[in-house]
Amino acid sequence: MPDYRAFPAEGARLLLWVASERGRAEPELQAAQQLAERGMAVWSLDPVSAYFLPQLPSSMDSVPVQDMADWLRAAQAGGKRVVVYAVSRAAVPLLRAAALLQPVERQQLCVLLMYPNLYTVAEPLTAPDFLDVGRLSGLPVRVLQPRRSAATPWLPGLLDHLTKQGALTSHVILENLREGYWMRETPTEFEMAESRRMDAMLLRELNDWGCQ
Amino acid sequence: MKRLLMACALGLLLNVGAQAAGFEARAATPAPELKAQDLTGATRTLADYRGKVVLLNFWASWCPPCLREMPSMERLRVKMKGRPLAIVALDSAETPEEVNAFLFKMKLGFPILLDPDGSNTQRWKVFALPTTFLLDAQGRVRYVLTGPTEWDEDEALEVIESLLAELPARSKQRESGRLTPR
Repeated sequence: MPDYRAFPAEGARLLLWVASERGRAEPELQAAQQLAERGMAVWSLDPVSAYFLPQLPSSMDSVPVQDMADWLRAAQAGGKRVVVYAVSRAAVPLLRAAALLQPVERQQLCVLLMYPNLYTVAEPLTAPDFLDVGRLSGLPVRVLQPRRSAATPWLPGLLDHLTKQGALTSHVILENLREGYWMRETPTEFEMAESRRMDAMLLRELNDWGCQ
Repeated sequence: MKRLLMACALGLLLNVGAQAAGFEARAATPAPELKAQDLTGATRTLADYRGKVVLLNFWASWCPPCLREMPSMERLRVKMKGRPLAIVALDSAETPEEVNAFLFKMKLGFPILLDPDGSNTQRWKVFALPTTFLLDAQGRVRYVLTGPTEWDEDEALEVIESLLAELPARSKQRESGRLTPR
């Protein structure tokens, strides 16, 4: 299993937080701590650090998927409702691991993907192509897409792809935010404020989605 | 593969790398349709710029690298005044209010087109901002650049001059003022 950082809590839900290829940022740790204080346990994983990988999107394709699947099963074995939150290209090893689970295990997960990057090809003037991450039948997936992103116009195609893989998809547009707003060099006032309340945003989205 | 994945990282990665990599030459492929309104509400298509080299820039007001290269596009416009080069900046998937708020802060002399529903962005298969296409006078895509650059110097200027050099003699004469356009 990968080396992760645990934020214990007594509540009924456990959030598995998978940081992006850019590594784990301080606001993500703060949000994990805040979630734990509000009763939701968090296991925070930084794959590029855990596996000594360079901070590149392609590194996420090298994360051992069986390790990730073992991690998901270990989380489910604790008896809490398991929610997974993966950022950017971290969606790739997470979804591939979910595809390795038994259907009944997979259906019990809730998966939040923050601006997932599942492209194999994304070149100007060329139709996008998405990775085959395996069968996701019955997996509830909710995409969180910042409005201020070049990927936003392509969201319908991404959702369609996930649906064809068997996922039960939905999405939310996060207004006035850019990708990685919590780790921007020049964040707006609103982005800074939203970085401080990521815990509340995640709880709100999970509750609105019905992932209790 | 690495390049493809980097392109997918969109504004976040481009924000880190200040200067763009090189221009990618294309085999003179016909350009996709461009149909967008300008800030006055007039509909613009590529036909409006036929006979000119076109610099078509996809950008957004929330994208720092896009904003960094804008002044150099304005300097290019001034430098190329009277020559058959059209600079067109198409804002990707923002509202007119968002675009106007930005233009209040940065005065630009080239046309800004709007793409509020992202339909042009999708037709041109733009996955990262800024992305810029250089079209020859026949409306064919000749170069693509993903990421920002300084448009009024070095490689960018050389590429634009190479496309201008392909123009027929009549256009060049018109360019130098020896032939009055009809």
